[in-house]
Amino acid sequence: MALLRKILILLLLMAAPLRAQAPEYDLKAAFLFNFAKFVEWPASAFDGERAPLSICVYGEDPFGPTLDAVVQGERVGERSLLVQRPDSLDDLEECHVLFVARSQKDRLRDVMAEVEDKPVLTVADMDGFLRAGGVINFILEGSKVRFLIDQEAAGRSGLQISSKLMRLAVNTGGR
Amino acid sequence: MARSWKRCIAGALALVSLLAGPAAAWQEPGEKLAAAADLKKLSIEELMEIDVTSVSRRAERLNEAAAAIIVITQEEIRRSGVTNLPEALRLVNSLHVARQNQRTWAVSARGFNIPTANKMLVLIDGRSVYTPLFSGVFWDVQDTLLEDVERIEVIRGPGATLWGANAVNGIINVITRPAADTQGGLVTAGAGNEEKGFGGVRYGGTLGETGHYRAYGKYFNRDSMVLVNGSDARDPMWMGQGGFRADWKTAGPDGRDSFTFQGDAYTGRVGEPTRDDSNVDGGNLLGRWSRTLSEDSNLELQVYWDRTHRYIPDSFEEHLDIMDLDFQHRLPVAERHDLVWGFGYRHHADRVENSRTIAFLPAREDFDLFSLFAQDEVSLLDDRLVLTAGTKLEHNDSTGLEVQPSVRAAWKASDRRTLWAAVSRAVRTPTRIDEDFVAFLPNGEVLLQESPAFESEEVLAWELGYRIQPHPELLLDVAAFYNVYDSLRSQEPPAGRPFPITLANKLEAETWGLELRSNLQPVQGWRLQVAYAWLDKDLHLDPDSRDPTRGVAEGNDPEHRFLLRSSHDLPGGLELDGWLRHVGELPSPAVDSYTELDLRLGWRASDSLDLSLVGQNLLNESHAEFGPATAFREEVERSYYGKVTWRF
Repeated sequence: MALLRKILILLLLMAAPLRAQAPEYDLKAAFLFNFAKFVEWPASAFDGERAPLSICVYGEDPFGPTLDAVVQGERVGERSLLVQRPDSLDDLEECHVLFVARSQKDRLRDVMAEVEDKPVLTVADMDGFLRAGGVINFILEGSKVRFLIDQEAAGRSGLQISSKLMRLAVNTGGR
Repeated sequence: MARSWKRCIAGALALVSLLAGPAAAWQEPGEKLAAAADLKKLSIEELMEIDVTSVSRRAERLNEAAAAIIVITQEEIRRSGVTNLPEALRLVNSLHVARQNQRTWAVSARGFNIPTANKMLVLIDGRSVYTPLFSGVFWDVQDTLLEDVERIEVIRGPGATLWGANAVNGIINVITRPAADTQGGLVTAGAGNEEKGFGGVRYGGTLGETGHYRAYGKYFNRDSMVLVNGSDARDPMWMGQGGFRADWKTAGPDGRDSFTFQGDAYTGRVGEPTRDDSNVDGGNLLGRWSRTLSEDSNLELQVYWDRTHRYIPDSFEEHLDIMDLDFQHRLPVAERHDLVWGFGYRHHADRVENSRTIAFLPAREDFDLFSLFAQDEVSLLDDRLVLTAGTKLEHNDSTGLEVQPSVRAAWKASDRRTLWAAVSRAVRTPTRIDEDFVAFLPNGEVLLQESPAFESEEVLAWELGYRIQPHPELLLDVAAFYNVYDSLRSQEPPAGRPFPITLANKLEAETWGLELRSNLQPVQGWRLQVAYAWLDKDLHLDPDSRDPTRGVAEGNDPEHRFLLRSSHDLPGGLELDGWLRHVGELPSPAVDSYTELDLRLGWRASDSLDLSLVGQNLLNESHAEFGPATAFREEVERSYYGKVTWRF
């Protein structure tokens, strides 16, 4: 009985007049950029006060050109932003924000081992990401993008996540 | 919290409405798709209010569905100024909605509309609100806080493969918002000349870390309708209703189980012109569990209990309990194949107190219904062609096994053009009014006797539709149908005498029609909808039928319906909405065609306060919509009301 409803929820996203909409990964790209604004990295994570903040996508890039478009010309504090798509695990520790694509799900353990205890904000949108040691995991609630944060994992990496971002996360009593 | 949240939406909408992003496929005119480069200007709270347009690999959109489907959104309901669910359905031009008296509406798609219309399936949050008395809906008691309705989906044409028996001519699916979307407080109050006083209260909060709830209460007091000669019909009505909904998930980052528990209870009283008041009351509880197995696989189990009571003095009294269980499982069985299967069980226990004029015999009935369905969807040719085939098997106590298959195809000719076609079979199974209903003449003679041999009514429906969006601000939607009905209900008197009448299945019919709809946005902030529906039908009795009514009692349908709606956003937070509708004449019993106009002026005074003035049925002092042309036919009057909505 309720099953067509479920399908229809998907069908009918386009129905509401004047409702703001965006493709899933455009929206997630904008979130990724926003996360960078609400996280403090230890000074040691950068080569200098004005060194760029690097956002990496590891694995099959779901963002296309969007992520680049989103960060283009933007700054976080004094730092400019740089999108990188590292090919090898060895390069991951150079990242400040690391988005782990779903194509890496089978190798998640190796990826996470590489950045363990390093000041890298790990983000993904796959089941079990926080359990594997990730810091932020995107989920969808209906048609809205939400995220979960593991503050302990952030602490282990030496990252400070602002209380505002914590408040907005689904698992910390946010809306 | 609620206020800042609202500001976020307002901010997001204001910004997004300024964007002229790259036009993506299929937008309803008036919708804006945010361009990536502009998304970064939004705050994180604003981002959280934006809808994702494509959720999964399979995300299909309304405009690509192989069915005649239309959705009424919360925004449309709010801006229409309607005060109850059946009136909200008038927003769908392809439905015929006619009000016969204070508590009786006739609502149907594609013909066969009568107050006991029996070919529509109506659901509220997955709960079927049909009565097994006549397989229709008592619209007077179908209510909820309209502000909590997320959308109403209306599908014309059979949906029996997925939805089960009685989804013959269409499905109406009312869906309320998740509790998470109704957080904070809401108070509404209003008064007018017909809606003498109405109000609602709702409050929503959180349940632990992963849950939300809301509770609501509402009340209305509605004035009598009017008779043809202008005198009072003496049928005022009041009703009070309350309810709740809680949604939660299993805790932890990997919570894959979600739960919903909700319920409503109501009581009301309707004046009757020539006897004591009628009483209606009831309640329901519904639980739903769903588990996400993977991105494209999930389980869902739903159980509900629904109790209704209706007492109409000197006529009948009914106590009805329905227990229902539904299970569904969706899984990708092979590449390009997406399978949904499920089963259901329903039990109803109906207890009727009979009177000297009408009776249901036996007075008590217990009824069981089992169903099993499966449907496969195959995507071919780079997902350009989507084929859907499935069937439902249903076993009921009355007619045994019923098979209801359907085949649908959608061809996405381009990103903005979809051509679809469908062939389906559906049945309307016998109900108590078909099999058990007895009516007496004043002298005690039997006018209508039981008809235990009554069988299921059948339809074979052929549908064709086309949707095109030639311009981002213009959408055209056309659906055509040809329905062949067999074994429809007929009234058979014995040879040589006018009664006692038995109900039989000796009526056949063909209906065909066209439903057109266009949404457009000529300029920013002004949306228009134009819709037209045309229906024709041909009834013929089997050669051995003696039905004196020639079958016209089964439906009284207008040939033409027309709708024009305009929604205008004015400066200063003002909203002006106009709604013109025309319903063609009804043949038998004859009712004149009518044209009516509703106007609404709304003012968003602040983030938390809305004021509105609404005028309904403004073109005529009163007009009839249904029923025989006697001195007692009731008419709908011109009306006005004012309303205040406060959020906190």
